[in-house]
Amino acid sequence: MSAASVTEAETLLEVEGLCSGYGSLQVLFDVSLDVRVGEMVALMGSNGAGKTTVLRAITGLLRRSAGRVRLAGDDVTGAPTESLVARGVALVPEGRGMLRDLTVAENLELGAYAVRDRAAIVEASARAYATFPILAERKHQKAGRLSGGQQQMLAVARGLMSNPRLLLVDEASLGLSPIMTETVFDLIADVRRTAGVAVLIVEQNAAALDLADRAFVLEKGQVVDRAEGDAVRNMQGRLREAYLGRPTPEIER
Amino acid sequence: MLARIITGLSAGAAYALVAVGVVLIYKCTRALSIAQGEIGAFGFFIALRWAARGIPGLGWHPARVVTLLIALVVGAALGAAIERLVMRPLVGRPPLDALIATLGVALFLALLEKELFGTATQFAPSPVGEWKLVVLGATLTAPRIVALAFAAGVALAAYVFFSRTRFGLAVRATTGDPTVARLMGIPVNRVYRFAWVAAGALAGLAAALLGPAFGGLTPFAMTKFSLRALAGAVIGGLDSIWGAIVGSLLVGVLEAVVGGQFTTAGASELAVLVLVIATLVARPRGLLGAEGAS
Amino acid sequence: MPSRVASAIAVAVAVGGSLLLGNVKLSILVGVGVTAIAALGLDVLVARTGQLSLAHAAFLGVGAFTAINVGSRGAPWPVAILAAVIVTSAAAILTGLPSLRIRGLQIAITTLAFQEFAEEFLFSRNDVTAADRTLSRPSFLHSDVRLYLFALAALALVLLVRYRLSVTKAGRSFLAVRDIEDRARCFGVEPGQSKLLAYAISGAIVGLAGSVLALKAGSISAKDPFLLLESLQLVAIVVVGGAGSAAGIVTAAVLVKGLPQFSSTIPLTHLRAVRIVPIASAALLVVAIVAAPQGIGGLYRAVGRFLDRRLGARGRARPEPRPRPTDAVAAAHGAATLRLVPRPLPLRMPVPALLEAREVRVAYGGVTALDGVSLEVRRGEIVGLIGANGAGKSTFFNAVSGLAPVKGSIRYRGVELVGRAASSRSALGAARTFQDLGLLRAETVAENVLLAQTWLARYPAAAGIVGLGSALRTERELRRRAGLALELFGLGHLASERLGDLPYGTMRIVEIASAVAAGPDLLMLDEATAGLGPDESHALGDRFLAVRDELGLTLVVVEHHVPLIARVCDYAYCLESGVLIAEGKPDDVTAQPQVVESFLGRADAATGRGLG
Repeated sequence: MSAASVTEAETLLEVEGLCSGYGSLQVLFDVSLDVRVGEMVALMGSNGAGKTTVLRAITGLLRRSAGRVRLAGDDVTGAPTESLVARGVALVPEGRGMLRDLTVAENLELGAYAVRDRAAIVEASARAYATFPILAERKHQKAGRLSGGQQQMLAVARGLMSNPRLLLVDEASLGLSPIMTETVFDLIADVRRTAGVAVLIVEQNAAALDLADRAFVLEKGQVVDRAEGDAVRNMQGRLREAYLGRPTPEIER
Repeated sequence: MLARIITGLSAGAAYALVAVGVVLIYKCTRALSIAQGEIGAFGFFIALRWAARGIPGLGWHPARVVTLLIALVVGAALGAAIERLVMRPLVGRPPLDALIATLGVALFLALLEKELFGTATQFAPSPVGEWKLVVLGATLTAPRIVALAFAAGVALAAYVFFSRTRFGLAVRATTGDPTVARLMGIPVNRVYRFAWVAAGALAGLAAALLGPAFGGLTPFAMTKFSLRALAGAVIGGLDSIWGAIVGSLLVGVLEAVVGGQFTTAGASELAVLVLVIATLVARPRGLLGAEGAS
Repeated sequence: MPSRVASAIAVAVAVGGSLLLGNVKLSILVGVGVTAIAALGLDVLVARTGQLSLAHAAFLGVGAFTAINVGSRGAPWPVAILAAVIVTSAAAILTGLPSLRIRGLQIAITTLAFQEFAEEFLFSRNDVTAADRTLSRPSFLHSDVRLYLFALAALALVLLVRYRLSVTKAGRSFLAVRDIEDRARCFGVEPGQSKLLAYAISGAIVGLAGSVLALKAGSISAKDPFLLLESLQLVAIVVVGGAGSAAGIVTAAVLVKGLPQFSSTIPLTHLRAVRIVPIASAALLVVAIVAAPQGIGGLYRAVGRFLDRRLGARGRARPEPRPRPTDAVAAAHGAATLRLVPRPLPLRMPVPALLEAREVRVAYGGVTALDGVSLEVRRGEIVGLIGANGAGKSTFFNAVSGLAPVKGSIRYRGVELVGRAASSRSALGAARTFQDLGLLRAETVAENVLLAQTWLARYPAAAGIVGLGSALRTERELRRRAGLALELFGLGHLASERLGDLPYGTMRIVEIASAVAAGPDLLMLDEATAGLGPDESHALGDRFLAVRDELGLTLVVVEHHVPLIARVCDYAYCLESGVLIAEGKPDDVTAQPQVVESFLGRADAATGRGLG
């Protein structure tokens, strides 16, 4: 949490009544959530719940049919995707969005595309290589040659290059082993602590709950539960129910 | 034989200029443009008209060498206009629609040329002079030599642009994944416009060199030349700029060699046809194209 | 219907009125007719199959010159025409060959190359153009009126062929190739064959046009009508007329080719028609493709709808776009006949496994999607396949359908599927649906259900086009089956609705009905409940049970909605990263720690702490 404010931490991202979908298929039904400055919020849900759709709608990759998105009070509903980086929002896409033919260094440079100040870019690169040493080793390798976990780290590092105030992370655990997942989550938590970036992490993997200040649960396009503080740690059962359904009671067998 | 190869390379170099434009547009927008020939031709026709009658409103008759520049600029402007008015609304539609649109543009421009400039072959004085050079037995006129120089220059410029400039990186990102490019803050629409402007300028340049090299410019003539360029692009691999250059040079050489060996009309056209079909059947991605590109 | 009556009247007036024109004008109209027929031929390639040809003027030349060559050497006129049709068809097939290997746009360049080749090489040779010979018209065609009627007859024949195409498997296959090329194999469509057939038919039609031109001209010395400009104008006519619309295309042909010759100026203006019309058609081509892809045909359709609304006896109420509850027993009874289909091979019904996968491996360029999966589906079961994103569930379906490169063994009723063409699956009895709808949204529900039964349309394409008895009988039978399948799912009332107009959930059910119509023994459903609300999901689960109980089908169901699996499935497999991690009764599987971890990602989630 931001230490500077004496009052309640201010809202950075506010999503209100979001409805969206693909053609005749509506996926999101009146989704509302918020992220405060410097905090980590987890949006949990199983496949098909609509998690990625929420991020796509927020970042303008998908049309909204209803709802508003506000960033630090500014209404950014309908803002073109290209303008987000300048507003301090970076998305780490589902599947990492690796540009396979570009080198690690070039991918990082791309993350800083919107940054004009040469010195800031150099500093951001140094920070990235310090936080993710494995990337420093492979600076000039093509991104397509990295392993899944390394690509995920590169995607996160790339997102941080523009020094965003809000980092959106879409299913970072996809295709990663449990150990790798833990490593990536820990790194994200670290970065949040040191850089004060607010993070909205969209996940199926319940390990994300350990890092979050607050959590929302998405099921079939609707927010069905939310928790704050310690209650977040106890959401396991709720999640299990959402993903796998209620287990049949013993007596019926 | 060597002389013919050299001559063929010089023609191939001019085709390469057009082909690089085609591939640039394809890589950035996934649209195949068959209008490049006519875009270039239109640019050069305007340049010749202004050289002959003076620029409307200014009364100034540009010198011959300036016609090259005018062709380039008009080609670029036309490319920008087409991108904004025709191709941008087609984003998201099936690629066939974009192809048909460029066909319409080519047809429109060719007929417009017919209307404005007549069907007779336009006398096309070379913008780069009348000097000649003898290279390895082949007598090359000025436009052909300049074409070779420009092709080499474009290849070098492409290398520097893509690997060392910020915007070049942005273009590479857009060709890889436009969505990710947008997320990085890259103005993808500007990249599309750049592709069409650059391709238009290259087409204008090619027309200004090919016209004089082949004795004049007729409406639809550039479409024939752009067929060679398209064949070159397809043979080289539609998603590879180097492929476009290599493929076009190959087409130019094949044309010159076959045309020299056999005097029957259309022998070189047959050779090109066979090469295109053979390449597409045996290696659909082209010589230098990436796997899964087609 | 008023629109039908109006069109009939319009055509009668147009034809009747034209006959009153003088000989010179009729002669012009023959030329217009030739262009219209050639454009209709091009339309088969562009509208139906999605292939763009820039060589159709060259094909026209090939047809005309062949007719002159053959006819001027003493052959009777029907032979000359037949020769023209066959030779042009062959030329088109040759030009279209690369389309077997490449997708999309590059074929346009091949056709462009052929156009150039024809212009420079073929049409410069006297032996090809028969420049010193003349084809004399048969005596019954000596008058201009007679020739005009002959041209009209040719046009009518082409319209008939196009109609026959649209109601037979060939025409449906063309559309499938255009929109869902690879997946259409699961219906029994062979994309390569379909493409070549489309080129053949397109070429044949243009060859016919060429022979009419030959009969009109007798001898052709200039190659102007067969140049690139003309090829491009044919595309303009097809696009401005509206791809797929015969009325629109004929109108466009009359406007583009006829107008400049009929009047030297555009009506009401001082503009010289012969100069303005070509350039205007080019401009219209661009405008049409960007803003009005339906073209003139779309305009006609809009007028027709207007007339129907204003003058129609009864307004046609839009049917409720959701499944209707049906008499389940009766529907199932009728639908049982769907299973009576011939199989190409003697298939065993081995006990107990209908489908047996052993050590199935699927790898795409470095990524291993399935890594040694072995599973078994028993006859009469409903088997569930669950797993997190990227687990390989759809890949498994693709492996069984033949749409993915497979190492290992997949035996279906004793027959090894690995190595067999994907188009064999339907015939063997394994049908499937796709995660993102593998159907044609622009076509009606009925057309889609017919498409899914392509493997059952076992008649030669030619028989279908000509309308031989066996083909007609088979089509009737397919329509009957389609009706039964739709009724089974309560969709009978939506048969004539355009698929894309229906709500997403209904479209998914249509896809299931289509798969059932193909008469499979094994039905694989990929995320059938995606996009469905809880009530619809529940109802769908009931249909699964009905389909299994009443029709005796065996089902494999990929689902994210795990509660459905628990309710409906007899057995379940859980995949993770291409490997099988659990199997058993659904409740057992979802209780296993590794499955819970796979979904939630935490080792201690298995203890089920904090059950809320």
